[in-house]
Amino acid sequence: MQTLTEHILSIVIFLPLAAGAIILLAPPGANRFFKWFSFVTGVVVFGLSLPLYTGFRSGIAGPQFVEQAPWISLFGQQAIWYRVGVDGISLFLVLLTTFLTPVAILSSWNAITTRQREFYASLLILETGMIGVFAALDMFLFYIFWEAMLIPMYFLIGMWGGPNRVYATIKFILFTMFGSLLMLVAIIALFFVHHRATGVYTFDLFSLYGTPLTGRAEFLMFGAFALAFAIKVPLWPLHTWLPDAHVEAPTAGSVILAGVLLKMGTYGFLRFCLPLFPSASAALVPVIAALAIIGIIYGALVAYAQQDIKRLVAYSSVAHLGFVTLGIFTFSIEGIEGGIVQMVSHGLSTGALFLIVGMIYERRHTRDMSQFGGIWKAMPVFGAFFLIVTLASIGLPGLSGFVGEFLVIVGAYKVSAVYAALAASGVVLAAVYMLWLYQRMMQGPVENPENADLPDLSFREIVVLLPVVALIFLIGVFPRATMLRQMDASVRQTIELVEGRNGLPSRVAESPELPVGRLGCRGTGAWDMDVRGARPRTWMSGAIGFGAVGSQAIGMQPHPNPPLKGEGASPNPPVKVDGDRLLLDFTSASHDAVGNVR
Amino acid sequence: MNHSFVPKAADMLVVGPETIVAAAAMLILLAELMPARISKAAAPWIAALGLLASFIPMTTTGISVRTGFSGMVVTDGFAVLMKAVLAVTGLLTIGFSTHYIKREDLDRAEYYALVLFAISGMMLMASSANLIMVFLSLEILSISLYVLSGFARTQPRSQEASLKYFLLGSFASAFLLYGIALVYGGAGTISLAGIANAIASEGAARNPVLLAGAGLIAVGLGFKVAAVPFQMWTPDVYEGAPSSVTAFMSVGAKAAGFAALARVFLTAFGDIKVDWMPALWAVAALTMIVGNVVAVAQTDIKRMLAYSSIAHAGYILVGLAAANQAGVSALVFYLAAYLFMNLGAWAVVILAGRRGEAGTEIDSYNGLFWRNPGAAAAMGVFMFALAGLPPTGGFMAKFYVFSAALQANMVGLVVIGALTSLVSVYYYARVTVVMFMRDPEPDAAPISTRGLLGVTLAVTAAATIYLGVLPGQLFQLAGLAQIARP
Amino acid sequence: MVPTAHYVILSALLFTTGVVGVLVRRNPIIMFMSIELMLNSANLAFVAFARHLRSLDGQVFVFIVMAVAAAEVAVGLAIIVAIFRTRATIDVDELNVMKW
Repeated sequence: MQTLTEHILSIVIFLPLAAGAIILLAPPGANRFFKWFSFVTGVVVFGLSLPLYTGFRSGIAGPQFVEQAPWISLFGQQAIWYRVGVDGISLFLVLLTTFLTPVAILSSWNAITTRQREFYASLLILETGMIGVFAALDMFLFYIFWEAMLIPMYFLIGMWGGPNRVYATIKFILFTMFGSLLMLVAIIALFFVHHRATGVYTFDLFSLYGTPLTGRAEFLMFGAFALAFAIKVPLWPLHTWLPDAHVEAPTAGSVILAGVLLKMGTYGFLRFCLPLFPSASAALVPVIAALAIIGIIYGALVAYAQQDIKRLVAYSSVAHLGFVTLGIFTFSIEGIEGGIVQMVSHGLSTGALFLIVGMIYERRHTRDMSQFGGIWKAMPVFGAFFLIVTLASIGLPGLSGFVGEFLVIVGAYKVSAVYAALAASGVVLAAVYMLWLYQRMMQGPVENPENADLPDLSFREIVVLLPVVALIFLIGVFPRATMLRQMDASVRQTIELVEGRNGLPSRVAESPELPVGRLGCRGTGAWDMDVRGARPRTWMSGAIGFGAVGSQAIGMQPHPNPPLKGEGASPNPPVKVDGDRLLLDFTSASHDAVGNVR
Repeated sequence: MNHSFVPKAADMLVVGPETIVAAAAMLILLAELMPARISKAAAPWIAALGLLASFIPMTTTGISVRTGFSGMVVTDGFAVLMKAVLAVTGLLTIGFSTHYIKREDLDRAEYYALVLFAISGMMLMASSANLIMVFLSLEILSISLYVLSGFARTQPRSQEASLKYFLLGSFASAFLLYGIALVYGGAGTISLAGIANAIASEGAARNPVLLAGAGLIAVGLGFKVAAVPFQMWTPDVYEGAPSSVTAFMSVGAKAAGFAALARVFLTAFGDIKVDWMPALWAVAALTMIVGNVVAVAQTDIKRMLAYSSIAHAGYILVGLAAANQAGVSALVFYLAAYLFMNLGAWAVVILAGRRGEAGTEIDSYNGLFWRNPGAAAAMGVFMFALAGLPPTGGFMAKFYVFSAALQANMVGLVVIGALTSLVSVYYYARVTVVMFMRDPEPDAAPISTRGLLGVTLAVTAAATIYLGVLPGQLFQLAGLAQIARP
Repeated sequence: MVPTAHYVILSALLFTTGVVGVLVRRNPIIMFMSIELMLNSANLAFVAFARHLRSLDGQVFVFIVMAVAAAEVAVGLAIIVAIFRTRATIDVDELNVMKW
């Protein structure tokens, strides 16, 4: 039990991979086994991820459930760590992933008839990659997951997709790799810049946050990161891979693609671009916001013009993700929190829309809107679910979509009324095309006799949709209790990281009593921190810089605990350990200090 | 100076691995006096044992720096690691050769002897501390490879490959030799240490004869590693030579060429690196661009792998262009990772091919998944590894090389490397497309994985993934690959 | 006494002749002879430099190179003979089973 709780996050990450390997090693043809085994794994992983939510302590900005182990040493230093954890930002994306994977598995029950062994194994391996991306706290580890995840997705689209699947999957992998290869260059460059400033070789994300960059380098690196994320989001005009991938992908692939993969782009903006390159982020807000707003309006207009239901939903994703990006680049608490809620909400509602499209496709083998009409009469249960999901996608109050869009618009209004107005017009357009879709498919007379006696949803299909819809309601009604409360501290810290470097007023952002947390201190003053309850191996790492003079790494490890006694092993005079408090005295110098306590 | 003609044990230890390998080769030739059935059966085992035994002197010397034969040869961390890479290359070559040469009716014991002779030349090249040793070892390996590429001597394609390789190979050797002669004139010596001293003390650095000599040496070795613009022989030779030989030389000859390039340029010409770094920068960039872009247009998998091997030479050149310790370590790591993924890919080519070198068009891999899922999965691993996707050794190798270059502030070169990798994703992915996403031809029979070839496939695939997940140990080992400064 | 530079220039001329020969001629035997010319131009340079430097090293290298060249000849002619046996031609332009 002890190991289970200590390594809960690692287990959640790697259990699907292990299950996928078992499936691959099983003899082919045991199709019932593959289905049930992967579904049970998906449910167990979701169950195991729930303690991350219930045990999550709100009010803490830094990552929780942190696990780390040295992984690869480079240039004579322990530069690369296996280091994972969740904070208020990544928690919900991890949960979204563990939630949607079993849903996707269940939705494939009858849809996938060939090579089932490889299909379910790919889905499970993909889950490992996705959770890993959200949980990684080491840039190198993050990149490994980010890229490795492409491979199962590539096969999912290419092996079980529609007629044009090869084109779609090659386009998908080339677009994504284009951005991420340049990001890799930027990551390595950042690694060396950090080394030059501190003498420490590390890919630790929080240590890299403080890296001093020249203006040009910062813009170039921001560009490389932003390109990778913008392609993934996808931000207009880099979105062209998305409709193709969605249309060709099998239902489960579309659900995962829309539900989780796209969020990696927006998550990347929030986790990497903003805190690592605050000045460049701030300077480029007009550009990114403009692209996001174009995406919102363009996505909505193009969605309106589609005949293919899947293509319509795909373009609506471009619009919704535009909202998320806009929210993040407002640098306001409302905007960013709205963005995160919108990520989850879009994952649920669009995931559900793809499930619904898949269900109707299994019955009619077409996705052409004009082939439908009056389905409600034959399939009332289906119609009810479809309606709820449609309304959630539009952003009806009481459903999850409203919370996200409302908060984003509030955040955008703080920056510029024009942004808010344009974004709001996107909401109106979304209502137009979604309701139009619903009307054409579900209502009116049954013109096509094939639609007259379609069977309504089976028990399995209801089981697939019900939890998604339940969550849509839950988040819509209790956004504060379910999501916002947990993410407050992390979002505030991100905002402070961005603003701190832009010369805006900033101050210590840390709550005491953190076993695991992040320190930030700017300006002149003394600063202390309670480290009671810290783990036996507690240390502080990071860069402390004194004005423009330079910066220096401090490290204290390992500490007997509790309580900490005497002087720390730090070579850096301002750090003192007094009982179980860490004292950092910066009264004598103007400085910036950032670091991590684990 | 000791002018005794009897070599001392200390001297022999320096060239221990190559001596053992060459001795095993001669033993195979001697074994041919026995009935053909026995000698044929014994040859691969003698070869494997010889290669395994060559690890003994490697572990004895370790990474210690020793010179032998009056400074003609040297062993150091770099030499030992390169020899280990070559020995593993040899072992895997035996692994996929047994099946292949039987199928192609090339089952003669001297095949293994020639492979071993080539390896001994390659190993000697990594140990050469004198330019004439570089030339001699280059000829040992080249002449063996000329014969090997024409080993299917009744096959027109093999003959043609052999002749082309022979003509262009000796052409390149002549460049190398003339370069050595000019360096001799410029520096007054051709020992690497002596050249370095001459450059440091006498200001020979600006001597045009010496610089021209260095340039010609680079051209000669550039041919061997298939760097652009000296790559034109590669596709024809790789396509025409027997697949097992192509596989062997795509790794072995490349490793040996890079070993010589690294040692010569970082020791003898280390002090004038400002002069050659820009040239190497350009060659590396060109090699990556040409190799990857032309590979896109190929329809034959052997030709595609030939261009891919040119492209990979470009990535290794990036490590060399960085001209720092990280670059040398990256070069060693890259070759180690490349040996597994590339030899693995060739093993699949051999497995999927048919008698008479048939079935090498990429289209004949249609639906390979249905005919042999294991081989298709392994090929998928190799393709993604060659494309540089994690979690494979190919990614770690590229990461290491790019890190070394960024440490030397070569941002532009790394960006070119990253973008050409993107191009490579396209043509490697195409192989996975035909294997997994198309249906097999109706008359295509299942392919069974046989004995040693299957083991080779499993080993290379496992090693490729292992290096992608836990590269730490090999990173550390590669960090020890220091080239002794004379 | 002839200055060393003259020998070196002569060797450079011979080397260039060899290079041009390889690139222009299409008969592998002539191409191969051109390569031999290149090797021998290097030998000439070695000997000239050895005399200039008053060191025997260069002279010794020539012997090594000659031995290596002989080995190359053996292999090269064997390859050419093998080709001639199956095709009765050795013109490299007609060796076009693969793209050249």
